[in-house]
Amino acid sequence: MALSDGPDLTPSPPSVGGRRPRRRIMPMVVLALVLVSGGVIITQALSTAVDYYCNVDEVGVRSGCDEGRRLRLQGTVAEGSVVTGTAATMFDIEFNGESVPVEYEGEPGGIFRECLPVVVHGVFDQSTGLFLGDRVEVKHSEEYVAVNDERLTEAEAMACQPSA
Amino acid sequence: MTTISPQRAEISSLPRGTGTRATRIIGIATIVMIAWLALFGLVLSPADRDQGDSVRIMYVHVPSVWLAYLAFIVTAVCSAIHLFGKRHSLGVDRIAGASAEIGVVFMAVTLATGMLWGRITWGVYWQWDARLTTTALLFVSYIGYLAVRGLDGTQQQRARRSAVIGLLVVLEIPLVHWSVRLWRSLHQEATVLGTDLDVSLDGLMLFSLFVGVIAFTLLFLWLVLHRSRTLTMIDLVGDRELDRAVIARRAEGGIDHA
Repeated sequence: MALSDGPDLTPSPPSVGGRRPRRRIMPMVVLALVLVSGGVIITQALSTAVDYYCNVDEVGVRSGCDEGRRLRLQGTVAEGSVVTGTAATMFDIEFNGESVPVEYEGEPGGIFRECLPVVVHGVFDQSTGLFLGDRVEVKHSEEYVAVNDERLTEAEAMACQPSA
Repeated sequence: MTTISPQRAEISSLPRGTGTRATRIIGIATIVMIAWLALFGLVLSPADRDQGDSVRIMYVHVPSVWLAYLAFIVTAVCSAIHLFGKRHSLGVDRIAGASAEIGVVFMAVTLATGMLWGRITWGVYWQWDARLTTTALLFVSYIGYLAVRGLDGTQQQRARRSAVIGLLVVLEIPLVHWSVRLWRSLHQEATVLGTDLDVSLDGLMLFSLFVGVIAFTLLFLWLVLHRSRTLTMIDLVGDRELDRAVIARRAEGGIDHA
């Protein structure tokens, strides 16, 4: 038998009523989908720029953090500044000694509370200097602390710690 | 006393499935470690001061992404061995394929658990920040790798094409890992594998994470052994069908292959 001596190259006569060679369509479809979704992901990423946020102290200083444009502003929610109204939540966010008052329509989600760093999406109200937020994300740090860690007293745990 | 003929003995000693003594031992060890992970992750480890119980998602999220990275690195190493080795072994190519399949599954687990955690902690499931975007790209790249493996061609063609891709896409892993350092992102930086040696993680949390990483590494070993053996069987069936088709063609042409 010639089978074990490599591929048989003798031309075979056309078969009568033989099956057409099956073209596999699925891998092509998946490949096309992958290319399209890769493109979507890249354009999405570029449209929101690579750096996710500006810090509070960089407004008007860093390029891309100009006061007139839509911003994502990062800062720590100031201790004792959160006022929950009927329609809006007011709080200050601070970073590196600078502070910005924020008005957010509604109640922030996530694990929002004082002393946690947040990213607020919104625009500055040019007349009042108030930052009008329409989305708040809690930016969790890479620190994990047990809830009942005996090394921390209750007061220490609740107080704003200087960020590392 | 009956004697078993050598041929019969050979046939009966052939494995009936993809399991061997080694996989069974690894399988049992995996189950034991996953039970430990459940115990530490869900019961013994403490809740987080800020995140509460949602911190427990980390014990699946981090080991899954570890497993996925490990799987993709195994794929790359096997790809290199196939391409640059003298034998151009199809065996390592099948390990590469099996490993990538498992990696994709666990990348999906990583994304799903991360989104659940993000909804609870950040308040949103998804944001196009640097870490999340590069991770999505990595996931899609390996789906592309698997799609290329499914293209028409011989087994050698499949092995060579996918090996080239396997070596290219693995370069995205450092990009994903350091994306949180390179750019500002919503996702936090690495706690354990960061550049500073000060690990800001509670002791029991760190231990639970460690148990998770061991459990998922064993799980990967178990899965990759079974899956690469399955892929070998699939290739063998393919070879046999090809032989049969060649014989049928020759019979149609009236060629005597004696």
